[in-house]
Amino acid sequence: MTERGSERSDANATYVFAVCWNPDPSAFHGLSGVTDAAPVRILPLEKLTAIVQTVRACDFTDEAWQVRLTDRRELERYARAHHDVVTAAASSCPTVPVPMATVYHGEQRASEALGRESDRFHAALERIAHHAEWGVKVYAPPPPVDDSIRAATPSPGLRPAPGAGLAYLDRKRGVQERRERSRHEALQAAEKVDSEVGLLAAASRRLRPHEPRLSGEQRSQILNATYLVADHRVEELAELTRSLSGRTGLHIDLSGPWVPYSFVGEV
Amino acid sequence: MTDVDFRQSSYPVPGPQTTNLADILERVLDKGIVIAGDIKVDLLDIELLTIRIRLFVASVDTAKKAGIDWWENDPALSSRASRNALKDENRALRQRVEQLESQTPDEASEK
Repeated sequence: MTERGSERSDANATYVFAVCWNPDPSAFHGLSGVTDAAPVRILPLEKLTAIVQTVRACDFTDEAWQVRLTDRRELERYARAHHDVVTAAASSCPTVPVPMATVYHGEQRASEALGRESDRFHAALERIAHHAEWGVKVYAPPPPVDDSIRAATPSPGLRPAPGAGLAYLDRKRGVQERRERSRHEALQAAEKVDSEVGLLAAASRRLRPHEPRLSGEQRSQILNATYLVADHRVEELAELTRSLSGRTGLHIDLSGPWVPYSFVGEV
Repeated sequence: MTDVDFRQSSYPVPGPQTTNLADILERVLDKGIVIAGDIKVDLLDIELLTIRIRLFVASVDTAKKAGIDWWENDPALSSRASRNALKDENRALRQRVEQLESQTPDEASEK
């Protein structure tokens, strides 16, 4: 929930990117974070370290976020800035990301709030140490071509032979059935991909497939899943997705390594 | 398949080098450990926004060509649209008041 606190325009607030064990402070040199006003820095907690930045409170109110989230360029700038800091932290030690837009009224408040959750942070850090998140997206093959129209076009000047309409409908139905079968087979194969990759992974999550009509992507995405994979099994994962792609004929996109964003929430 | 980075560094997770915005948003908006912030967008809003933004960022141009422009009228995505929604409501209410006011004398004379 949103609490309203300091309304003064010059009040400072503390933006939190991530919590980790012993980061290398030099990992953040050269990163601007979400504002140019102050450097990204570490905030030592009891046995943990938070990665934070001092920001102006008035730039991070609920209203300011609502406006920011409606502007594609601003949204992208903030999302990438947040992601870059989280990623930099993870390059030196196990790191638990905090969702974008987590801000406290000051360093003291941030320490209190994060300190209260330290058990959850430790559990999440233990779980993800020496693991990374890997995304797997599966695309359906193009649907069978509808050849019923060409096949049904009568020769010019001739009346359609008796029964031509029925034959046309049959062909039409045949195309529809082939399409349904092809889609069904693709979905089944995608489930196979999910279950085989799932066996190799420590945990998995299904994400919403990206909307094909709007993505500009001609192919239809039938699986968008993400997996927590131990570092020593990464080559196995690449080999498995290659082999699954060959066996199923589906196009499979593998992305990673990601900081395990999707595997720290419900520990 | 996309290029996969197999660097064998001791600490391994610098993230995919080229990442599309939808993939990043999918993670930074509603994933990670959720802890209550003092100043923060409601999580429910984030969840709703994520779905819409993910569609939105996919390709504005393609969508516009297809005549899909809901984000321009969706109060959750456009501050302008939420102002317009208020204006529209205001206008409708004024019309209704005028209508009611103009009816009153007739109804009074009927009695």
